[in-house]
Formats: sequence, C-alpha cells, structure tokens
Amino acid sequence: MSLPLLERAITEADPRFVLSTTTLPPPPGPGEQYRFHFDMTKCIGCKCCEVACNEQHGNPADIHWRRVGEIEAGEYPFTQRLHLSMGCNHCVDAACLTGCPVDAYNKDALTGLVLHSADACIGCQYCTWNCPYGVPQFSQERGVVGKCDMCHGRLSQGDEPACANACPEQAIAIEVVNIEQWKLEYRALANAPGMPPADQTISTTRITLPANLPANAQKGDFHRVRPEHPHWPLVFMLVLTQLSVGTFCRLLFDPGQAGAIAALLIGHLALAASTAHLGRPIHAYRALKMWHRSWLSREVLAFSVFAGAATLYTATQSFAIGAATVAAGLIGIACSAALYLVPARPAWNSWTTVADFYLTAVLLAGAPKLVPVAAAAQLLVLAFKYLRLRQSEEFELRQSARLLGNDLKELVWLRIVLLVGGALFSYHPASLLPLLAGELLSRYLFFVGVVPRNMAATFGGRKAA
Amino acid sequence: MNTRRLLGLDILKEKYRYANDPQFGNMSAQKIPDRWVKTTCGYCSVGCGMLIGVKDGQAVSVRGDEAHPVNAGKLCPKGLSEHYTLRADGRLRQPLLRKNGKLEPVSWSEALDAMVSNFQRVQAKHGREALGVISTGQLLTEEFYALGKLVQLGFRTRNYCGNTTLCMAAAAAGYKRSFGSDGPPGAYEDFETADVIFLIGANIADNHPILCQHVERNKAKHLVVVDPRVSKTAMLANTYLPIAPRTDIALLNGMLHVLIREDLIDHAYIAAHTNGFAELAASVAKYTPEFVAQITTLSPQQIIDAALLFGRAERPFLAWTMGVNHSSQGAETVNAICNLSLVRGKVGLSGASPFSITGQCNAMGTRETGFTSGLPGYRKFESAADRAELAALWNVDPDIIPSARGLAYPDIIEAMVKKQVRALWIIATNPLVSFPNQDLLRQAMGELEFLVVQDGYHPTPTTELAHLVLPAAIWGEKEGTYTNSERRVSKANRAVDPPGQARTDFDIFLLIAGRLGVKDSLFPNWTGPKDAFEEWRRVSAGRLCDYSGITYELLDREGPIQWPYREGDPITVTRLYSDGVFQHPDGKAKLIPIEWLPFPEQPNERFPFVLNTGRTVEHWHTRTKTGRVEILEFMSPKAWLEMNPHDAEKLGLRPHDQVDVVSRRGRVREVELRITAIVGPGQVFLPFHYAEFNSNFLTQSAFDPISREPNFKQSAVRVEKSGVQR
Repeated sequence: MSLPLLERAITEADPRFVLSTTTLPPPPGPGEQYRFHFDMTKCIGCKCCEVACNEQHGNPADIHWRRVGEIEAGEYPFTQRLHLSMGCNHCVDAACLTGCPVDAYNKDALTGLVLHSADACIGCQYCTWNCPYGVPQFSQERGVVGKCDMCHGRLSQGDEPACANACPEQAIAIEVVNIEQWKLEYRALANAPGMPPADQTISTTRITLPANLPANAQKGDFHRVRPEHPHWPLVFMLVLTQLSVGTFCRLLFDPGQAGAIAALLIGHLALAASTAHLGRPIHAYRALKMWHRSWLSREVLAFSVFAGAATLYTATQSFAIGAATVAAGLIGIACSAALYLVPARPAWNSWTTVADFYLTAVLLAGAPKLVPVAAAAQLLVLAFKYLRLRQSEEFELRQSARLLGNDLKELVWLRIVLLVGGALFSYHPASLLPLLAGELLSRYLFFVGVVPRNMAATFGGRKAA
Repeated sequence: MNTRRLLGLDILKEKYRYANDPQFGNMSAQKIPDRWVKTTCGYCSVGCGMLIGVKDGQAVSVRGDEAHPVNAGKLCPKGLSEHYTLRADGRLRQPLLRKNGKLEPVSWSEALDAMVSNFQRVQAKHGREALGVISTGQLLTEEFYALGKLVQLGFRTRNYCGNTTLCMAAAAAGYKRSFGSDGPPGAYEDFETADVIFLIGANIADNHPILCQHVERNKAKHLVVVDPRVSKTAMLANTYLPIAPRTDIALLNGMLHVLIREDLIDHAYIAAHTNGFAELAASVAKYTPEFVAQITTLSPQQIIDAALLFGRAERPFLAWTMGVNHSSQGAETVNAICNLSLVRGKVGLSGASPFSITGQCNAMGTRETGFTSGLPGYRKFESAADRAELAALWNVDPDIIPSARGLAYPDIIEAMVKKQVRALWIIATNPLVSFPNQDLLRQAMGELEFLVVQDGYHPTPTTELAHLVLPAAIWGEKEGTYTNSERRVSKANRAVDPPGQARTDFDIFLLIAGRLGVKDSLFPNWTGPKDAFEEWRRVSAGRLCDYSGITYELLDREGPIQWPYREGDPITVTRLYSDGVFQHPDGKAKLIPIEWLPFPEQPNERFPFVLNTGRTVEHWHTRTKTGRVEILEFMSPKAWLEMNPHDAEKLGLRPHDQVDVVSRRGRVREVELRITAIVGPGQVFLPFHYAEFNSNFLTQSAFDPISREPNFKQSAVRVEKSGVQR
C-alpha cells in the first residue's frame, strides 16, 4: 500500500535548536564578584540542580550543597506554588567566615566566592550554626564541613556550575555584581518569600520573583518542626565547665583541696569532651587561631587558661591563682554564651542564654544556700524564654516554642521537676545529682529546641546534613 | 570508620578529589569514566539522549547528550541518577525457583525447563489460551518484536497484553478510531512553534520535565493547562482551567459548540478530509457554555474564552497524558480532542496537532511492533490481507496468525479469577503495585498454577509471589532501540554487563524459543537484537510506522530518527497527516460524537472525597528502580495525601497528621497529610508510586470499554485520622 504524502523537511539540524552552551559572563573586575541569579518564574521544581550538584561533587545522598524548596500561597484555584533553588549565596558579609575558629573560609580575591578549605577545617561545625541559609553541611564521613563553591573548578575553566548546566529551564545563571552597588540594591533583589532576610549577611544571590507573589507565601515545610542535632559532647562540655567554674568560685571563699581536685578533673573531662565534638579532634589546638575574631577561638583560649590556672591552683591553693582561675573561668562562660548568640539561630540569640549558662555554674557550684535562689532565677529565665518564643513574630522563634511546648513537652517538664526537686532538697549533698541531670537536660533541650533560619524546604523531603 | 578518620588525620581527600574529564571538564574524580557510552534514557517516553560513564566495567556517572535533539544535554533527576539503578541492591543475579514454598537459586537450564514444562502442562490441560502474558513499555523494540512472535506464534496464546494498557491504551485506541491508525501526528518541535498550547491532564513539570524546555523556548505561546489539581505545570500556564474531575469531555464539547456557533471551523477541510460532521455538530448542540459550566465548574466565559483562543489560533497544539488516558472514557476523550483539531483542519501542521505524550520509554515501540491489541506494523487482526502479508514475510502458515485479539490486561486478570487463565508470565512490570483494585488482583494471582516473573530486581511485590523468577538485564546492559512520543527512534546501548547470570530479555526470549522448538521457524539465524531489527525493518516497510530506512549504523552515525523513514527515500518526516490523508480506508478522518458521562464512582456521604492519583518528579512508576536510588528516596521518601484546607478544617485534621484513606475496596494506612490549596475542596491526591501506601488498594475495577484502560483517577474515598476507628 502507498503511504499518504507526508510533510517533508530537510534533514539538517533544526536551526532553532540551540545546544546548551556556556553562558558565563567575563570574570569579575575590581570591586566585583560572581553571584547566582535564580529565576523563580522559570523554576519548575524538578530538582535536577540538586542531583547534578551531588554528582559533580561526588557527595552522598544526605549532603545537598544545592537544595530546592517550595512555597505556597493563595486559595484554590488561585493557588501559587513556587520553588526556590539555592546553593551558597556567597555573601558580602559571610557569617560562616567570620565565625570560623581556624580560618578555613576565605572570600576569594578574584571571584568573591566564599571558599572553604577542607584541609584547614577541624569539623567544629560552628559555621553550620552561623549561616542563616544552612549552606555549610558537616560530613560525618569526612569529619569536615563542605559547601557550594559555585563549582570553582569548572568556573576557572570557563564552564558554568553543574546546577546551572543541568537546569532544563535556565532558571539558574551566573552573573557578575559590583559589590558597592549591590549593597545599595540587595534588599529589593535578594529577598524572597521562603528565604531568611538577606540583611544579616548580604546574600549576593539575585532572585527574580513572579510579579504577583504575596510576601506571606508559606514554606513547604512550614508545619514541620524537627528537633536539631543534640551535640552531646557539647552538652557535657558546657554543663561540666560551668560546674567546674562554679566550684572554683566557691572554693575561693571555702577552700578545700578535695573539692578542687574533683572540680579540676571534671573541668578537664569537660574540655576533653569538647574535642569529641570535632570531626578532626587531633587538630583541636588549631581552634585557638582566630581568637581575635571568633568567639569559638576565644572560648577555647579562655578555658585553656582556666584549665592551666586551675591545675596550678589545685596544687598550690594560692588565692591569687585561684582568683585568676575564677576570672578565666567566668570569661570562658561568657565566651561560651557569646558563641551561641548568633542571628541564624534566633532562639539562642538572647540574654537568656547568658543567664542560663551562669546560673548553671551557680546551681552546680556545691553551694546549697545559693541553690534555691539560683533555681528560682533559672525558672524565671526558662519562663521568660518560652514566652519570648511563643509571642514572637519571628517564624523560627514560634517554631521553637512549638517544639518545646509540644514535641519536647515531657522533657521540659522533667527538666523543671529536676530543678525544683534539686532545689527543695538542696540541703542534702545528693541533691547535686538531680540538679546536674536537670542542667544536662536543659542543655540538651537548648540544642535540640532551636529552629535555625533556613530556606524553605519541600513538604516531604528528608533534611540534608 | 578507621582510627585515622576518627582522629581527623584522614578526610578522604582522594575520594573527594576533582579532576578533568576530557569531554565534560572538571568533576568529581571518582565519577570520571574510562569511556562514555551513548544511549537513550530508559525511564519515560520523552526519550532523552544520554551518555553512561563506564569505569572498570561499572557505570559511575551519566550525562545528558548535548547533541540529542530531544533534550539538548538536559536530564531530569531520575535520568541524572540512572547509573545507580545498575548497581542498586536487589538486582537479580540468578534464576529463582520456588521449592517447598521458598524461592531458591537454580540454573538457567532448570529454570527454563520448569517454565516451559509448566506452561505446556497448563496449556495441554486447559487449552492454549490458559496461558497469559503481561509485558511492559520498558523493553527494547527488538525485544517487543521477538516477544510478540514468541507468545502468539510460539506459545500460541492470544492472551497477551502489556502494562501499556494502564498507560496509553486510550491514546492508541483513540487515534485508531479518529485517524484509522495509531501514531501521534505531532512532534516536540510543535511545542516551540505553536501559538496556543493546551495541556490537558498533563503535568509535564513533574512527569516529563524535559518537555518543559521545549515549551519554555516558545516565547510567543499562550499556554492553557486543564487540570483539576494546581499542578506544577498549572503554574506555567497563561490560562489555568481548574475543571471538576473528569469533565474534560464536557469542556471539549463545549469548545466545539462555540467553534461551530462562531463559525471558527474549516469547512473546506471538514468536507475534504473528514466524515461525520453533521452528526458531530448535532451531538454538541446541547453543550452550550452554560451547560458545560455546570458540569466543569468553570464559568461560561472561561469556556467561551478557551474556545475562541483555540478557534482563532493559527497553530493550536493539543497535548495530553494520563489525566485523559486514565479514564473509563479515555479513548472517547482522545476522540473529543481529535474532533477539535479536525474541525479546524489543524492536524500534522507545524505547531498544530492533537498529540499524545506517552508514558514509558518504549511504549511506542510496543505499540508499533507489538502483537497485543494489533498485529505488528499497525496491522489489524481482523484483516485477512494483513495476516497474509505477515505470514508471507515470516514464512509461516497464515492460519496460525490469530484473526482477533485476545484478552486485554484487565480481562486476563478477570480470566484468572475465573480460572480460565491458569499460568501467567509477567515481564518487566509490577502489577502488585500498579494494577487497580489490588484485592481482586491478589485473589486472581492466588488462583494461578504457575507464575513466572521476569525482572531486573528482586524482591518486588510481584516477584515475591512468583513460582519462577527470571533475572533480566536492564537499561544500560543491553542494545536495541527505543521510540519516543514523537516517533523518534533512538539507540540504546550496552555500557556494562548484567550482574551475575542475568541475561538480556532478548536472549531469554530466544532461549525459551529454543526450548519450545520454535527458534528456527520464528527466529531463523537470529543471534542478537540487530537480527530482530533487520526483520522489523522489512515487516514495517510500507506501513505508516515505516522503519525500513533506519539502520543501527545510521542511528549510531546520525543520531535518532523519526519514523516513517523509508529505505531509498530517506526523508525526515516530522509530522503525520499533513496532507489531510488519514489511515481509514477512504483516507478520511472520522469525527466521532462523544457524550460526557459522570465518572463511575461518585462521592457520597460515606465516601465524600474524589481521590486523584499521580506522580512526583523523583520517582518512576512503582519505584522498583527509583526506590533503590538513594538521592531520589532522600528527596521523596514516602507518600503524602493532599487535602484542601477547608476540608481539613471540617475534619479537624492538622498538617502532618497520619491519616487512613478508605474506599469501598480497601484502606491505605498512615499516610502523611499535606493540607494544601493545590487540590480543590472535595478532592484529595495520593501519589501512586509507593507500595507501602498503595493507592491501588483504593482504585476500582472500572475500565474503558474501548481501550480497556483503568479509571485510575477518580475513586470515592473517605479520610480518617489513623488509629481512630469509626
């Protein structure tokens, strides 16, 4: 049988068909840097960028240097569901960098990219708390943090990053921005629903939004609150250093070598515990490096001095050395508290953290007369903290309140019972045990009960490291 | 973890090193292969070109093929991680035979003896047609072609169908009725040249993401998305039409009504190239915008606007997928779509066609070469001439070629319940997740005397029931061709060896043919897939789906080619029916009056919600593959149920509550509730990928009488908070 006449076309490639070619701008000049542009109007939420990123860097499934989140607004059928795709925002004022105790980050002089050195990193994870976008992610496998470097290796050869290369919709692009100019205009161009405010670190990612997107669009994971990592070594490190410092304070007025030996051992144990938190404990000493900038370095420095002085004091029982021990310890606690005062973790970023830490020192100092007062104060701090969280306008604070008031409710009550019980029986030496358990639990709740600032996630996906 | 790592002396620098691949530049050194092997993606019907990176005999990476006309180097997240499917846990490495109730490893010889002797025993006792075969859209064209002959002419049973009946049977049946043959007339290029695009029941952003770039390239288009759910695709639309579930026929008829009323139809084309206009016009007289508005919940103005948009478009393109096909009126809905294109004379023109976006990577291959609902090459069982032609080509007795089709997939299942079909061979599909009304299916499976499942993986819910499991090679481990939605034939190549003793489906078919004693008569001198392809070229020559000019060498050299591509007349044919000559005997298309009917299971007080089902971009079908790819599981680990906030409030449900979804047939337990305005009041949506939350315990045995496609999309359900019995 004969075929119908069929439309005939030339066999050459269709001229409208454009091969995906690199669209990199020329390298940044003085005062300029590379940045991402994300076009929300083009993104279809396919997550190609996420998978391509992991393939490019050989990362396992639980590490996502690029993530896709979703936001939703409006009533059916005028619903708007949109997606965010984010790698690192290569901020002008990068919080990961300023907090790092070992100077593992640098803002590249040529490209303006925020680059991280795995060699320098000791795996303290402080940057993961400082970044308001959850960009640096700690790899259990490697013991160090890693993050998006805009595929620096590809850029340097004139290739676009893996995410931009993989995007079927050309929603991700690389641009060059003048930094001073950007400081004037980023508020209008870097902010988006579902993203933390760009002010904190001056994110450089330019985001194109749909014209009619309401600012109150809801994050895909709006209703999901997940407890954060408990950081057990730090729970012990904090409470036990505070116990030790408190005890040496007491010993200054009520000397006794046995007590000093016990406090000294516990203090050393606490500092040893802290290294267990590091991905690379062998390089713990490097944490001293950035004492002039990083509160984590300062904490390590203060407690190192404290430990040395405490050892001397225990041996000599000299009041002067005791006073120095106490001074170093109190400064150490201040540094501890200060390092948790980070805008990216709003529930920590309050005077209540400072009060909480010092009150723990008082409660565990072995001074029974002070315990009821300190316990009452600690209860007040707790109540204030909860009320502050619950009444806040800030999403992360209200989520923290939800976490503590619902999911972790039983533990919060247990913490209160241990505190009140310990205080009621404070005349008995054994009361130290419930008090200690109460403070450890309190610190555990401190870590798991914080809701970090982050970009919107999807409804059902697992959370990256 | 070793001590050096615990101390922090070792940070796995070697593993996380970067290096330069000569072709793709800087990348993770461990992903740089020794060689890149060109192939075509094995998931969906978009048919993206890709490269598999092979290092030390293992697939370590994949990349999109920048020279491939379909995807221009892009891949979806499933394609970008497809190499993991090859090395995944649960790959079948040897045949398994059930002994004393347990599946135990056996040799190929023992496995094939068991298969053939059991099938022959059942056929001898209960008749040849007591054997049923259910295949797939995942095999290579060469394999479909070989399998069809093996089943129909070797085993001599007509009860052969594929999971494509759960997918695009409605499109195939609809095309046959309207145009006289299967075969999508358009091409992806039309997404770029159309001035108006209608996507009807097609959530391409989730299901065919790489098609979106063709739509995106078209800056001048007006995109209309018709879908009851505010899908990701709806967000791309210039006009979104949120119709009530399965009211598309009413909408299409309403548009036709307006076209006729406004005289926006091509009278000359209708007269020259179609039959049945008078009856069609009469049938849509009652579908006034006001009447259609009542049915669809759209406003009369929206219907008029949609009709005028379509009616005034120079190049209107109507594309659809499962929202249309998964319906007990699926084939008729396709006809209603074709009616619209026909009355405007807009078929097979640049940017203008009624276009079925199909499902699986090679659903088209089985439609063309298959021996299920038709004879190979779009021939008809009923046609003596077609049978004679095939018999001559194959050098077989014409009488052994059946003159009527056997049972379709759902009818094979029903015949199993009635014990008419007593042995079953399932190839590369997983009905224990994908078939509607699982309760009935399980009953049917329980009646079987012998079940053979041929798959790449074990366990799957289906292999677990088998008496015999045959280990098959998968994508990346075998050579052949796939044909995509736009009739583009692409080469798939073998990059790595199958694991253990697994063999290609093609080899398995030839081995079975040998055991049956039909190897020499049906597959003379065949050794590899190329022999099948060469025969298929001859069998398809002169047909609409003419492959005669296509060779492996040409595909390897020139890249993928659209059929028809005739030997001696090698001209690219982008579209079918451009001259208005169709495949019905008189060369005219049929205009077919279609009545809108309410879907079969309407909600009531006990089951107040309409359950819609569908996909998510991270997963493929029943997750046999994607459930074993860590990054995809990470991004979409479990099912969820979408419910409108107003309904959730009425039921006192909160976000992330665990809920049970209950229909007359079954219950899906402890699904995570997503309260969202993506779905309208009275509707809920559950993705169908998850065996653990299998939506097919809820769906019904309601099938399209024409195509036998199941009505997956609308079932009446209620939603209860889990653990609270009523």
